[in-house]
Amino acid sequence: MLFEPFEDFGDVGEIAARLRESDPAVRRLAVIELAGTASPDAIGPIGSLTEDPDAGVRLQVALALGEFDGAAAAEGLARLVVDADPNVAAAAAASLTELKQPEAGAPLLPLAAHASPFVRAAVLGGLRGLRLDAALGPALIALTDPEPGVRVQAAGVIAYLKREDALPSLIAAARDPEPDVRTVAVDALAFSRHDGAADAVVQALEDAHWQVRASAAETLGRIGLVSAIPGLTRTLGDTFWQVRQKALRSLGSLKARTAIPLILPLLGHEVAILRKEAAAALGEMADPVARVELEQRADDPDPEVRKTVRWALGRLTA
Amino acid sequence: MDAIKDGLSQVDCDVLVIGGGTAGPMAALKVKQNNPKARVVLLEKANVKRSGAISMGMDGLNNAVVPGYATPEQYTKEITIANDGIVDQAPVLKYAERCFEIIQELDRFGIRFQKTGNGDYDVKKVHHLGTYVLPMPNGDTVKKALYRQLRREQVLISNRYMATRLLTAPDGRIAGAIAVNTRSAEFLVLRAKAVILCLGAAGRLGLPQSGYLWGTYENATNSGDGYAMAFHAGAALANLECYQINPLIKDYNGPACAYVAGPFGAYTANAEGNRFIESDYWSGQMMQEFYNELQSGKGPVFLKLNHLHPDTVGEIETILHKVERPSRGRFHATRGTDYREKMIEMHISEIGFCSGHSASGVFVDEFARTTVQGLYAAGDMANVPHNYMLGAFTNGAVAGEHAASYIGEVDLPEIDAEFIAKERARVLAPTKREDGIPPNQLEYKTRRFVNDYLQPPKVTARMKIGQQRFAEIREDLDTAMVARDSHELMRALEIASILDCADMAAHASLFRTESRWGLYHNRVEYPEKDDENWFCHTLLRKKDGRMVSEKQPIAPYSVPIEDEERGAYDQLRVRKQA
Amino acid sequence: MPLAFSPTTVPVVVDDAKCIAEKGCTVCVDVCPLDVLRISEETGKAYMKYDECWYCMPCEADCPTGAVTVNIPYLLR
Repeated sequence: MLFEPFEDFGDVGEIAARLRESDPAVRRLAVIELAGTASPDAIGPIGSLTEDPDAGVRLQVALALGEFDGAAAAEGLARLVVDADPNVAAAAAASLTELKQPEAGAPLLPLAAHASPFVRAAVLGGLRGLRLDAALGPALIALTDPEPGVRVQAAGVIAYLKREDALPSLIAAARDPEPDVRTVAVDALAFSRHDGAADAVVQALEDAHWQVRASAAETLGRIGLVSAIPGLTRTLGDTFWQVRQKALRSLGSLKARTAIPLILPLLGHEVAILRKEAAAALGEMADPVARVELEQRADDPDPEVRKTVRWALGRLTA
Repeated sequence: MDAIKDGLSQVDCDVLVIGGGTAGPMAALKVKQNNPKARVVLLEKANVKRSGAISMGMDGLNNAVVPGYATPEQYTKEITIANDGIVDQAPVLKYAERCFEIIQELDRFGIRFQKTGNGDYDVKKVHHLGTYVLPMPNGDTVKKALYRQLRREQVLISNRYMATRLLTAPDGRIAGAIAVNTRSAEFLVLRAKAVILCLGAAGRLGLPQSGYLWGTYENATNSGDGYAMAFHAGAALANLECYQINPLIKDYNGPACAYVAGPFGAYTANAEGNRFIESDYWSGQMMQEFYNELQSGKGPVFLKLNHLHPDTVGEIETILHKVERPSRGRFHATRGTDYREKMIEMHISEIGFCSGHSASGVFVDEFARTTVQGLYAAGDMANVPHNYMLGAFTNGAVAGEHAASYIGEVDLPEIDAEFIAKERARVLAPTKREDGIPPNQLEYKTRRFVNDYLQPPKVTARMKIGQQRFAEIREDLDTAMVARDSHELMRALEIASILDCADMAAHASLFRTESRWGLYHNRVEYPEKDDENWFCHTLLRKKDGRMVSEKQPIAPYSVPIEDEERGAYDQLRVRKQA
Repeated sequence: MPLAFSPTTVPVVVDDAKCIAEKGCTVCVDVCPLDVLRISEETGKAYMKYDECWYCMPCEADCPTGAVTVNIPYLLR
């Protein structure tokens, strides 16, 4: 007996006919099948159900369109992200972040000014990965949005564009009243070698929120300007060890030898991660003044600290 | 469904890829990209949509060689040292040179990697020797994205077919495979110019401590079918004594993912809450340290996160409980354990073969070619050491590219009708019996004996008893196993693979009379590493119907490892005893 | 020697009220790597036929109506 061993994904037209069935579950299953074909011909029929009376069907459409890309899929998602049903809108928002083709941007841009903050945030979330110059204008406006969630997404869009002309806005966002916005903005400034950007990040080392301070300490290592050294050195006294850890790493990569007197006491800190990071920073700097203190830690109870100390001592002799 | 039907179809193709998990889809895609006219069949025991080790995705790459963070030479050096020198460097170097391009291609497919605020790859530093960790906080889309590409390239997909044996032509080259449908027991003969084996690890070899046959570290579908088929086709398998054993969350038996939590400051600790692991890499050395601590007064071993800020723990949880093994969150909820409050108990896994994590696999060169002409292997079952998910993608691509050109040089081979008839009879034998031993009992017994007799520390007398027990079970399997439907038939065939793997594990372990790779090949009577006699691969193969092992020299290193350098590394790794 | 039936509590649970298998849905059955789910001929709903679960969760994640719940197998809990 002969049989066909290959997966049959069905005929798009035949499956699409079932989209008109009265039973919503059947329509829903047809949407799943259409997505399974991965055929570009399926986008049209799937997108025709964005106004379906059944929320379950619309949810399935929102998920299915995330499997495709381009302008047609984005148009359907733009209709669903404004859906009254929160589950449908949330699924559409998640699918928007899957878009990659630049053509997907056109249907989304007008929604950046939508009345609903959820929609504004979702659309900006979709635009980020597309890296469109045309998104800069709407994102800059959204950076002053009353809703913090929108401002976070706006800062993300600008960050991906890495444009120097957006620096003043990012610097302003680094002083946003909302800590989440400040964290994203500070992180975003890493691409710039502009003094103004570095100054804004140095100021963020004094932020009231520890996550913002940690982000600033890490970003300064990426920027790599020596002007950050005094600020980072002061940060070694931060109340959160997580912040001090990032500062140590950045001081190490900046080879900030002036900080050594403040780093040496951290070799005896009770948190092992901090001891290790202190030893690693001293190794990066490779300054023999640290030799005696490093040798005293060679028998640290923590193996990671011991290994890092040995590595650092090897750098001193090399 | 599941009723046994009588059916036999034959399909001819240029390239047959067996296994639709990670390496397989990439191999199939690369054949099509390089040779759009090629007829490519992707055969899968489950459904390509959600099959293989990454059915739910993956939470990060731990061996990403990204320019600016690590070099291919540096990576090759580290893998060579982590694998105690028993490495042909060419495939490792090839992987390291190609993997960044594969990351970028996966990114284009829609598989998402962690980016910095500015949208650049956010590679995390985990130790001072090199930087290889690239988190995938949205790694749950991996399989969907791959499946979409397969559909677009019009790869022919055959789901729910389990390959049982490879076909070879009279001139010795590969000729295709025989497969059986897992829901109807109908047979499919696939004649092919080239076959790419991507069947994953032998993960159902040892029995987990829970006693649940399916509670394995590896996806429990990965029953070692690829190892068994390669063996029966005469291909060489390398260093099978270098078992896979991994650190796990106890009972849940899923990965603790220290490489995900590590960059956030989490670590593996003993009962006193202190770190004890000296080794820098997941390796046999590290597993030996883990085992020693478990056995010591400072055991058991824990994953420690309770020193981290609750916000940080929350961030780790969203990654760990969403992707790769999402039921982990449910496990902790049932137990009432919270990462914020106390350390999570860990344990070591059952043994298996998996070069993705160790080095036990089908012997391949830098083009993923096995020792049989036209037969390739990639992913967890091919012996490119420690190559993980990204290695499966990259080496799958390498295999696909080479096969795409190879098929232009050869004709469709002849296949042997008599062999096919015999194989059909062998496969269907358990369905012809009215009464007998069901597959689950044969499997339980085999795997319990694997634990009893093959688990390291390895002892000669014990392993020989194991071989005797396996022979007895094989007798039962050949004469008394009964399968009542096609689903049970699949399980019955899997046990044949498991038993083959158990025999290979014992044979390979007995052959290498030294200790190497830490716990993986810790032989109690030969406690020392013996470079003079054993600085070589061991190749196991079927010769004249029998299992034989032989030594194979290590190919000369292209990235030299100076003795001194190795010493410096060792000194960094291992605490000098005072 | 005849075969005995030995009971186990299965980890995958299906909410019959939500399951739409009788309308032609086979999503959970399709995606299971171990192929342990089936549609019941009696009820028309999906159920776990073989207790061979890796608790990997595609059946739950991909179910269009949220009818499937994957529990940790009792022996591991």
